[in-house]
Amino acid sequence: MDPQNLAYALTQILHNFGAVAVTGGAAAARWFVQRSDRRRTLAWLVLAGWATQAASGALFGAISHAAYGQFPDIHGIALAALALKMGCAATGFGASASVLAFGERWSEPRRTLAWSALVALAAIALCAAAFLSWFS
Amino acid sequence: MDALRKAAVLVSLGFATAAIAQQASVKILSPAEGSKLDSMAQNRITYEVVPGPKGDHVHLYLDGKETAVLRQLKGSRALDTLAPGNRSMCIKVVDKNHTPIGVEQCVKVRVE
Repeated sequence: MDPQNLAYALTQILHNFGAVAVTGGAAAARWFVQRSDRRRTLAWLVLAGWATQAASGALFGAISHAAYGQFPDIHGIALAALALKMGCAATGFGASASVLAFGERWSEPRRTLAWSALVALAAIALCAAAFLSWFS
Repeated sequence: MDALRKAAVLVSLGFATAAIAQQASVKILSPAEGSKLDSMAQNRITYEVVPGPKGDHVHLYLDGKETAVLRQLKGSRALDTLAPGNRSMCIKVVDKNHTPIGVEQCVKVRVE
């Protein structure tokens, strides 16, 4: 078994679970969960998901650099998709941290808006991931 | 015992053959190194690639700039309009993460 492929696969597992956490957690809080304590748990899940997304994304680059001495060779659409994903991760992390820190003081419409934004960020990141995989 | 030895030799040969078959390589079949291309013509690059255990697909570069992702391991690709002058074309094997694995071939051509 090729060690680089194994490292990529293990990182991909982390990345996939991060994607599930940010999407599922935000969608559950937006549409299916109303209790504040459960929403808070979901906010932690989403925060951890975005952190995992960022860390595993960086790990993909680090594995390439460790194995071949260079980062992935991407341009154009793929580079734009990567920038979009990084922007989503940073904004998603900040938004979920804000929900945790200030959410209980916010009005319900504002909380709903925050969860909607987190769902949108997750969806954008998922779409960008497809372009990052198939373009270069 | 003889049969066992023969079997061991055959298995070893099989592994060796598989290992050789998996060596990554790139061959640019055309244009040839140093050839002259017509800037007004629809030029193509024809190639054959063995990705090996680490490679996945290939990237095409023109004058050091990536111009295409090629998923076919054997085939040809139309080149964008080439400006007159000396041009360099490279095909690099990359892994699933789009990272060049160090297996490549480049040709230099003259476009007139």
